[in-house]
Amino acid sequence: MTLALDVRDLHVLFGGSSAPPRIAQHSVSALLVDSVCEQEMARFPGARLGLAGLSFAVAAGDCLAVLGVSGSGKSSLLRTLAGLQPTVRGTVLVNGQDVSAFPAEHRGIVYLHQEPVLFPHLSVLDNVMFPLTVRGVARRTAQQRAFDWMKRLYVSELAGFAPQSLSGGQRHRVALARALCADPAVLLLDEPLAALDPAVRADIREALQLAREASGAAMVLVTHDLDDALAIATHIAAVTRYSLTAAATPGSLLHTPPDLETAKLLGVYAEIQGTVVDAAGGPAFHWIGGAVPAPGAAAGSAVACVRSYEVELMRGRVDDGQALLVVERKERAHEVLLTVQRAHDLCAVVRVGNGVAAAVGDEVQVSITNARIFSIR
Amino acid sequence: MNRALSRSRVATFVVLTLFSVAPLLMLVMTSLARGWFYPAVAPDAIDFSAWQDVFTDETHRGALINSLVLGAATAVIATALALPLGRLAALSTRAVRRTVALLAFAAVALPPVALGIGLQLSVLALGLGGSLFGILLAHLVPALGYLTLVFLGVFTRWDPRLDEAAATLGASDLVRWKLLLLPLLRRPIAEALALGFLVSWSQVALTLLVGGGAVRTLPLDVLAMLQSGQDQRAAVGALALAFPALIVLAIAGAAARNTSAVVA
Repeated sequence: MTLALDVRDLHVLFGGSSAPPRIAQHSVSALLVDSVCEQEMARFPGARLGLAGLSFAVAAGDCLAVLGVSGSGKSSLLRTLAGLQPTVRGTVLVNGQDVSAFPAEHRGIVYLHQEPVLFPHLSVLDNVMFPLTVRGVARRTAQQRAFDWMKRLYVSELAGFAPQSLSGGQRHRVALARALCADPAVLLLDEPLAALDPAVRADIREALQLAREASGAAMVLVTHDLDDALAIATHIAAVTRYSLTAAATPGSLLHTPPDLETAKLLGVYAEIQGTVVDAAGGPAFHWIGGAVPAPGAAAGSAVACVRSYEVELMRGRVDDGQALLVVERKERAHEVLLTVQRAHDLCAVVRVGNGVAAAVGDEVQVSITNARIFSIR
Repeated sequence: MNRALSRSRVATFVVLTLFSVAPLLMLVMTSLARGWFYPAVAPDAIDFSAWQDVFTDETHRGALINSLVLGAATAVIATALALPLGRLAALSTRAVRRTVALLAFAAVALPPVALGIGLQLSVLALGLGGSLFGILLAHLVPALGYLTLVFLGVFTRWDPRLDEAAATLGASDLVRWKLLLLPLLRRPIAEALALGFLVSWSQVALTLLVGGGAVRTLPLDVLAMLQSGQDQRAAVGALALAFPALIVLAIAGAAARNTSAVVA
């Protein structure tokens, strides 16, 4: 089967004369650059390698969400795919054709900026028709196709408006309609929901879902928000250690993150420090609240990643269990962060459902029903 | 406090008006005055003979046409060159940008006589001394300097995301110029055309040095009339010099008002 987007061994640059300098949060010194790559990079003074060896594929109609912290190179990845910044190594195949050396206008890839960029001298209709005008499609046909997408995205009544008069949500919908009017094989979305208030955000999420289903384009969405990824994407990958984790379905990534960095990125786990100890019944993870089986884990220091529903909390001392003192309680929208203490210097933060009544000063017993254990070297 | 501010505003307005309008008023009166000598407050008589002479005289008409042709050609050619030059420079590295800006500024800031002598030697070497084309080349130098600075400023503020969005929607370089840049830059282009025209229209030193007096333009004619004591005719010529400049500015202003371009 030919994939709409197939990326192989792609290297992504940060900065350089062809693009404004970007600041990565991490050092890139860990990246190994061979002499061929070095020569290629020399063509772009000031550029440095940000991500290396990325390989992934997206089928038509699927959406891959790329999760990563700010500055990790997510946007640079999209810009490289779109042909807006140079590629030093790797191949980008669109519907089986290598477009790596093609200019942006011939790749069949449409890139949507974080802030929708509408052409200020054109009406909404002319903006949406733009990709068809460029291709020389007859005005009447172009209008008809533009209206089709505008109706689906609920902006047809804005046809005669100037872009400057639109609200943020409307601008997003118009930019999306224009992108879909181009009938792209691949649609790249650069944090499209980042600067939106919650109501508009939900609205645009819905529009993006509709776009994915209706257009049949392969979509790549970069975001640092797990909820956005879960709402729109069929697959998720994370930018960690200058590369990309294997794409997984949202459910599998959430339940079994491949490494601690990815687990941290997902933002849904409490990280509990402890030690894996080999015992007769198999390895077990010991923490201040007790022990939990850790099949397959190597002995030594480790971190357990635990979600709120994987924690059972009982008030008071139960049987001979280890009682912990609640020393801090922080409310969140859907959960509570409890800092529990056994001795003066032994603390842990656990996430629990916000129905839990434990208050500061209470004695509680915490048991973990499930955890992902990651060794710390 | 407010009253004092208001008074100072009125005073500023009056002073500026006097400085800009008074010379023009003086020219109008001189062009129409016959026998107006100190200490007379008003001329003895009003007549239009100087106006008639200037506009019916073949030599003056030729000079006017030369000035118009030079002004229009300078405006169009300098704008056509400065627009892509400014864009290329703005998209290049900081070093290239600074070098282009420095060169453009040198063409503007060098004393016209110094620039004129250098240009005279170059134009003579090309065998174009004393020709309209040679003068056009000379006028293009300061005009290109001004307009490159204008477009460098415009493209430094230009939002590159517009280009990126258009490119990924399938627009090639040429199509982006046609559908995006030129429509969005209507205002700066109108201003550049006006500026290019005015730079050439008011050139004296370059025209004189490169043309060697063989090509007459309106400013040279006005100077000649002044030197020969034809004050009334010189005033008409000076007004003729001022009017197109005012018209060009008015057209540029109107073009600017008719565009909704958002550059930055």
